[in-house]
Parts: sequence; C-alpha cells; structure tokens
Amino acid sequence: MRTLILIVSLLLVPLLPNAALAHAFLDHASPLVGSTVAAAPHEVALWFTQDLEPAFSSVEVTDAGGARVDQGKAAVSANTMRIGLKSLGSGTYRVRWHALSVDTHTTEGSFTFHVGGP
Amino acid sequence: LSDPFFYVRAVHFAATLLVAGVAFFVVCIAEPAFRTAKDGSRVAGVVRSRLTFLAWLALALAVVSGAAWLVLTAAAMSQQPPAEVVSQGVLWTVLSSTTFGNDWLARFALACLFAVLLAPGLSQRRIESRPVKAALVIVAAAFAGSLAWAGHAAGGLGVEAIVHPAADALHLVAAAAWVGALLPLWLLLQAAASDGGSLAVARTATLRFSTLGMAAVATILATGSINAWCLVGSFAALAGTDYGRLLSVKVVLFFVMVAVAAFNRLGLMPHLVADGHPAATVTALRQLRRNAAFETAAGAIIIAIVAVLGTLPPASHASHHPVYGGIPADASFQHIHTGQGMADVMIEPGRVGTTRATIHLWDDDFNELDAQAVTFTLTPPAAGGKPLTRPAVQDADGAWVVDGIELSQPGNWTVTVDAVLGPGNRLVLEAPIVIDPKQ
Repeated sequence: MRTLILIVSLLLVPLLPNAALAHAFLDHASPLVGSTVAAAPHEVALWFTQDLEPAFSSVEVTDAGGARVDQGKAAVSANTMRIGLKSLGSGTYRVRWHALSVDTHTTEGSFTFHVGGP
Repeated sequence: LSDPFFYVRAVHFAATLLVAGVAFFVVCIAEPAFRTAKDGSRVAGVVRSRLTFLAWLALALAVVSGAAWLVLTAAAMSQQPPAEVVSQGVLWTVLSSTTFGNDWLARFALACLFAVLLAPGLSQRRIESRPVKAALVIVAAAFAGSLAWAGHAAGGLGVEAIVHPAADALHLVAAAAWVGALLPLWLLLQAAASDGGSLAVARTATLRFSTLGMAAVATILATGSINAWCLVGSFAALAGTDYGRLLSVKVVLFFVMVAVAAFNRLGLMPHLVADGHPAATVTALRQLRRNAAFETAAGAIIIAIVAVLGTLPPASHASHHPVYGGIPADASFQHIHTGQGMADVMIEPGRVGTTRATIHLWDDDFNELDAQAVTFTLTPPAAGGKPLTRPAVQDADGAWVVDGIELSQPGNWTVTVDAVLGPGNRLVLEAPIVIDPKQ
C-alpha cells in the first residue's frame, strides 16, 4: 500500500505548475515589440527564454525599404542577442531574428518598431 | 516517419542503451552468476562470447548512428544540405562551439574508451580486474547518461538547467541498466536452458537482474516525473498535445513492462530452485525467456517513441505556437507583459484594410489563462479617432479571435485587451502596435 501511495504521488508530480520552459522563444525586446520610440535606439536587444548558440544565432534590422540598418554581426551571450544600429531616422523598422537554442532547435520570428512620432 | 532523423535517433538510442546494458549486465549479473555454474559447464564461455559480439555490434552502431546524428543536426543548425555541411567545415563549428557538439565530442571519447575496455574486459575470459570492472560500469553510465545533453534537457534556465539534465542522465543510465540488459538476459537464459546443469546460473542471474531492475524502475519513475514536469508541465498539455499523448503511450508501455517484471519475480522465480519440480522449473525458465523477449520488444517500442519525442516540440512549448512557428512577415505582433498576466496580440495583415486579430492570454508563468470573455479595442493614432471595440471569440485552440476589423489609417495604434477572468476579476492590458500603410 505504501508503495502504491508513492507511485501515485510520483505520477502526480507532472500536475504541479511549471514555471520554466525550453526552446528559445523571444521573451521581450528593446525597443519593445511593436512599440514607438521617440529617440532612435543605438542597438536592438533581444531576450530569449533559453540560452542560445552564438555560432548559429543571428538578427538583422531593416528599414521600410528593406535595407539593412544594423552594424552587421550580433553579439550573443547566454539568452540575449544584441546588435548595433546605424543612426536611424523616423520610420518603421523590422527586426528578424533566428535563434538556435542549446537543445539544438531553431526558432525564428520578426517584429517591427517605430522611431519618431506617429 | 519519413524523416531520416527519426531512424538515426532510434538506432542511436537503442545501440547506446544496449552497449551500456551489456556492460552493466556482465559486471553486475553475468559474472557473479557464472560463479554458481557447475564444473565443466560451458554456459559461461558461450554467453561471454555472445555478449562480446553484441557489445561490439552495439558500439559500432552507436558510433555510426552518432556520426549520422551529428551531420543531420549540423545541417539543421546551419540550414544547409548534409553534403555541404561535411565539405564546408560546419561540422567542426558545431563540434567546437555548441553544447550539442561538445557533448558529442565527449561521447566519442567515451566510445573510444569503451572500445579500449571491451578489448580485454569482455572476451571469452572472465574479467578478473576490479578496476577494469569499475571502469567499464563508469564508462557505460557516462556513455548512456551523456545523451541527456543532446536533447531537450540541455535547454533549461536557472535551477532547471541543473535539475533537468541531471534527472535525464540518471533516467538514461537506469534505462540502460534495465532495458539495455534485457537482451543479454535473454541470451543468458537461452544458453542456460540448452545447458542442463545451469539452473543455478539462470536463477542467480534472474534474481540479480530483478534486484537491479527494481532499483532501475524506481529511478526511471522518479527521474521520468522530473522530466515530464520540465517538458510537459500540466495535465492539460499531457492530454492535449502530440508530445503529451505519445509520452502517455510510453508511460503505459513502461507500466506493462513493470507488471511483467513483477510477475517474473513473484510468479516465476520461486520455481527456479534446485530441489523444485523439474517440469515446473523448465516451464518457468521458458516463460522467463519469453517474457524477457516480450519486454525487449516493448523496450524497443519505447525507444522508437523517445526518438520521435526528441523531434517534437515539448508540450510545455506547444502553446507558444505563434512565436514558435515564426510570426507571419506581414503581421503586426505585440507581446504585452504585466505583473497580472500577458497577452500576445497578432494583427494579420498588420496594415490598413480588413484584418484579423488573434490574442493569446497567459499568466506570468506562461500557463494559458482561462478567460470568460475578452473585449478587444483598437484606438487609432489620430487624436479624436473613434476606437474600435469588438468582442473576441474563442477558437478551438484557446486563442481569442476578432475577424473583419477595418483599419482606416497607418501609424501607431493602441491595442487594449480587456479579459474577464472571473466575478470582479478583470485583466486589462494596453500597448502600442504599429500598422503599416496599405500595400
């Protein structure tokens, strides 16, 4: 009987709430996803839900015409990715990221932010 | 199942568990059992040579399938075809600068060490040296356990970064000790049955296997629960995702194997006594052999399931589908995060014209939030613009959808999500969202 109780309690463990995840999803970004910023940012920073593999993770920022406005190579450390920006004028910019998490899975996505008044 | 990755993973898991299982079996079960053999019995020699062949075969398969796994992973990481990966130096980048690659280098070194130990350790002769026995067990455990860092367990942050791979590594070692040793047990029982004087060997081996098996089952249960906690997270995710359902099949098969093992121990082993009824002993031995073959087959199915599970997004991630699959290029996306909860709002297409909004609600721990009703408001950028307020309808996946929204102007709109969570409990989230001009 005691063994049975032990087995049942172990089976119930998966029902406990779980606070953490794996796979590198975008947790938040600076500038914020979809946001409007008054002053042009000098870099885009992305925070992920998992550590990244620097060798295979990248980000690029383009303007409304599709031209690259980033400084080239992203700096990747643990779960953050940062990329420097050229000086940006008013307008909408798109950030495209590609992340390889340490558990070997790739994720990618994109978002826009807006510089200047509406 | 058309994905070659599935077959490579299945073969590698099976070969790894088998080679480690043979090592555990030889040191902890077979050699102590052979000491009970009668003088002149050939069973020890026969079993040793068969196990040696099995170990070399499994090690060779593990190395070959491991190399294929590396090439396929490097191809997926670099998004290049496998042939290019080999010719363009991507393999070395993967091996030298990724967690998976470092793990694979370590495992290749362990495989070489395994080969060195197998040469003198597993031959027709008995292993005399205690250090060789200890080294064999340690290398076998490390070779099986290090597979943990090639999969989902490597991905945690914080406490989970330590607990999850540790639990997964123990899970693999225990699986090797039990599932990986079933085929060796079957071989031993087969040899003992065809050699009339080897009843004591069969009995000792079965008893030791059963004891080792009970420790392995307890470990598998405990570590499996931790893994499930990390990768599934909730009962809803267990029932509602492919990952969860497949994992449930694996767990059911595991309990069938445990039931068979319990029957072996309680129902069959008492018949394997020297002064027992000869006919009952022969029947029990035959049944034990059949059960070992059945359990080996069940173990093989479990390994195939594990091979599929590693390629599926774990259940705890599936709810992230919009981000996981990549946000469509023409969509506007906003993640609104407050202390009370979060919303992922996607407006597709994110430009002037008729469009559709999809809202996912989470609590602060990324568990899906149950709302009774959701109202969605879009406020245009121009001062004096009339806000569009619409009730959202929940779809089958739990997302809240508003169809046929007419967006009149581009610019920086404000999105407001008003969710009724219960009586007197509302969650209101607000954030800017950029709408592009009409194409």
